Formats: sequence, structure tokens, C-alpha cells
Amino acid sequence: MGVPTVPVITQSFDELVTSIAYKKGIPGMRMVFTPHPVTDRPPDICRRYIEGKDPVSGKPMIDVIVSGLTQPVAAEDKQTGLIARPPRPRLLEPMTAEKLDQYFLDNDYTDGFPIVLPTEEKVAAMLKATSHRPDEMVGKMRPSDPHEAWEYTVEMVAVNAVMAGAKPEYFPAILAMASTGVTSLFSSTSSFARMAVFNGPIAKEIKMNSGIGAMGPFSHANSTIGRAWTLISKNLGGSGKPGETYLGSQGTPLNFSNICFPEAESELPKGWSPLHVQKGFKPSDSVVSLFSGWSLNNVAWFSSMPIHDVIRGWLEHFFSTSVSQATFILDPIVAKDIAAAGFATKEAYADYLVKNTGTPAWLYWQTRQNELKKAKEGVEPFAGYLKLGDNGVIPVSRFGRGRGKNRSGIEIIVTGGSTNAYWFGGDFSHVTSSSIDKWR
Amino acid sequence: MKIRIACCLVVALVVTSFTPKPSPAANDAKITVLNPRGILPPIQRIPMAERLNSLEGKTIYIIDTKFARTRDFVETLHEVLQEKFPKTTWILRDKRGNYQVDDPDLWKEIKAKGHGVIMGIGH
Repeated sequence: MGVPTVPVITQSFDELVTSIAYKKGIPGMRMVFTPHPVTDRPPDICRRYIEGKDPVSGKPMIDVIVSGLTQPVAAEDKQTGLIARPPRPRLLEPMTAEKLDQYFLDNDYTDGFPIVLPTEEKVAAMLKATSHRPDEMVGKMRPSDPHEAWEYTVEMVAVNAVMAGAKPEYFPAILAMASTGVTSLFSSTSSFARMAVFNGPIAKEIKMNSGIGAMGPFSHANSTIGRAWTLISKNLGGSGKPGETYLGSQGTPLNFSNICFPEAESELPKGWSPLHVQKGFKPSDSVVSLFSGWSLNNVAWFSSMPIHDVIRGWLEHFFSTSVSQATFILDPIVAKDIAAAGFATKEAYADYLVKNTGTPAWLYWQTRQNELKKAKEGVEPFAGYLKLGDNGVIPVSRFGRGRGKNRSGIEIIVTGGSTNAYWFGGDFSHVTSSSIDKWR
Repeated sequence: MKIRIACCLVVALVVTSFTPKPSPAANDAKITVLNPRGILPPIQRIPMAERLNSLEGKTIYIIDTKFARTRDFVETLHEVLQEKFPKTTWILRDKRGNYQVDDPDLWKEIKAKGHGVIMGIGH
């Protein structure tokens, strides 16, 4: 812009903004800090912050603003050109296995668990599982939009696949995930989780588990492919440094292996399409579909109410970080019960849920200030909604806004071993689907 | 009984002496592994804009990036700066869209009419 500028930032993001300013090419950027947080702080507290000290520099905040706009720029901050990055050797310095294990931990190359050291022999074996050249670029990945994107080759993905403990036959699936550029460690103050759902022949070929315990730690393929995604996100996508490239306030244990499982396609009720077919692929294609969200509830509710309406009731009152997207992961027993109740396709049931779920009044008004104003002015239908009180349910669905081929904003996946009528419901949404066959 | 115990001891000794043990040299062997890190992009330096001689008589924009529920902070900042620097014109403006959306029209206006910017704030 060419105009002197100072950003005002809350104290918690000191490390983040210093790092981003450097990576954006303005290492000397003048920044002003205020105590954290400022959200929902009334004017008197805001005034105390503004008239007080910048908690990072220790100087009065107003003085830091003024000097940021008026103090002459140092010669080095007027420079143009490139800032050199550290060289990237293909091989690390030879060490004993014990020292390498410690080196990987110290350099934050791992998820905290022991890894398989990526020796040249192991990486070469991994590379044999794809027809793609080791030096072929696979993609770019970044922790979130403001961050820089890192690039990576087939060989670099293989290194991380070895570290995760994956077998070479899993490698095309891991390359397909890496090629999306979707990080599993998205940087936001909310603690995002990711999910990877596999469809097509690949699931059987590499012995993924879609039966009993499909979403638990009971399959080498499910576990290590999911783990590889997190290692790739850290090492190839520049994600996962708390305070700088990861900001999730509490973090989530779901990031360890990213809810990685195949859909139980052979258990789908007649007429229900597999997820990858819903996304435009052929049934014979092998595909990984990535989802983003925060949380899942695991529910069984035994009552005289049919299960499709139990789920409807749950969805109506479900409240999470996101209030407009939902994914259901149904055990085959649940899917078959819903189909038997007359829902011939996944889409038919998703449409039913959209049409038959309202919004709890308190939640409706929290996200619709304009409608609340109209309601108070007597404008219908909002005035009528207001009469329902805080405990009422307003007949407006939160789940109508679908993206792309996702028609309703509600996704339905089937997996599990049919030992009981359980289902998961949560706030996940589909991000992308990627061909695994392309990476064989 | 004593004979059986003695026999067991002899067998245990024989087995122990023939069980292969990792040699200290094997544990100390250095191995070579591949670098797990990706390729970092080059950083293009952006020169900082020249600063002002003083704020007096200048127009400074305070840009609200509209992070949820932080309006009180931005409005109070505007108030405090007006009180402390009455000879400066302080203009409080909202950026278009949410905090992730660019607003080139506003940057154009600031470049034409303003002398400086204070940008805030999240969380």
C-alpha cells in the first residue's frame, strides 16, 4: 500500500505474527500488542488496555502506536530482494539409530510417538509402490490461508510414510491424500480435526478395516495411513508448531490418526451409493475423501421411536463449533433400519433431515441479529418465532447450505461391524475427494 | 533332585553362552536417513513505507477487520486517539467482508486520502 501501517494484535499471537511478518517479507514490521483477549471486553476494560502498557514491549501502548507510525525506518527494513532459507539436504548427517530417534524428536519431526527411521532402503521400497518418479512434485500445503505453502515430492511423501510405519502397498493412498494439499493440522484457535474415508477396491487390497472397530486402533492400514497424514502435515505442510503454525487452544486427540477408515460398501442398503460415487467417481475407482470438523458423538438410543427420528431429534438440538454442517457415520444395522423405514437413498434421508429439523430458539436468535430486530418490530414470521420463547424450536433448518455435490450439507457414511445399532453424528463436512488410482 | 537342578543349570549355561547378543559395534553403527522436511519457498522482501514526521495535521485510518465481538475495542481505540491527538484526523472504517477478505477499494482510498493506518484486531 505504501502507507505507514501498524497492526494491533492481542498478546497471545506474538509468536504467530512475528513469524508471519518474516515469511511475508517484512521482518521489521512494527506491531502493537494488547492484553488477550479483547472479545466481549466492555469499553472500560478496553480503555484500560489501550491506556496501559503494550504487554510485549512493556511500553505504553499509545506510544508504541505513535512511534510505529513516526519513527524512521531502518535501512535494512527498506531492502528488497530475497531472504535465503536454510539449505535442505536430501540426507541427514549419519548418526546412530538412538541419536537419530532423539534428533527427530528434538526437531519436531514426529507426533511424539516412536517412528520408523526413513533409511534409504525403506524409502526405496516405499517408492516401488508407485509408478511416479521420486522427484515429481506432489503438491503444496500450508497450515492455514495466511501461512506460506511448502512443496514436496513423491520421495518426501515416501519418507513420511515410512516414518508412520506404513507398508509400501499403502503408498498410493497416502500420495492421494498428500496431493490434495489439505493439512490435517489446520491452524485456527479452534481445534480442527480431520477425517479420511476410503472407498473402492483399495480398502480390500490393503486390508483396511470397515468391520468391528473400524474407527478404532485395530487395523495397521487404517492407523498408519491416518498417522502418515499428520506427519506429512507437519513435515511437508509446515503445520503443527504450537503458537506459530498451530493455534488450537486445546488441541484434539483426533489429530493423531485423523479418523481414517473405509466405508463398508458391501453393507450398504440396496440403493444407497458409496460415498465416492456420490462425489462423482465410478464404483470401481479407489478414492479417499477428506472431511473437516471438530467433534463426533457416538450414540445408541434404544426406544420405541424409530431410529431415523432419534437421529432427527439429536440433529435438531446438536450444538457445536459449527452449527450448519453435519456428518453421520452409521453402523450397517442403523443404515438398514433407516432404509427399511422408506429412505431409498442416502440423499433421501439427508433431505428428510434438512426438511424436518428446526433450530432451537436460543441458537436461532444468537446468529440472526437482523431477524431479532424485525421480530421485535412485529414483522412476521419472526415475531411469531419470538413468541415461542427460548425453549421453543423455530421451523428453520440449519443444514440447508450444501456445497458442490453435497446437496444438503449433511453427509452419510456407513461403517462398522453390526454388533449394535450405534451411530456417530458430528460437525464434519466434506472437503475434497481424490483418486488413489492416479498414484498407483 | 540335586542332579536335576545341576542338569538344569548346565543347560541354562549352555543356552546362555550360545544366545547371540547384539555387539556394541552394531548399536554404535551410524546410519543414513532421508530428510523428512519439505521445500520452503523463498521470501521476497517488501520494503516498509517511509514513516511520518509527526501525526499533526495528518489523516490516520483505523481499520476494523470485524473479528466477532471486538467492536468495543476498536471504537474505544478511536475515542482515545481522538482525545489524545485532537490535531490528527482519525477515521474509523470497516474493512469489507470478514477478517479474511481483501478490500482493494479501501486500500486505494487510504492511499489517496490517508497518511497512515492502524489495523485491528482479532480475538
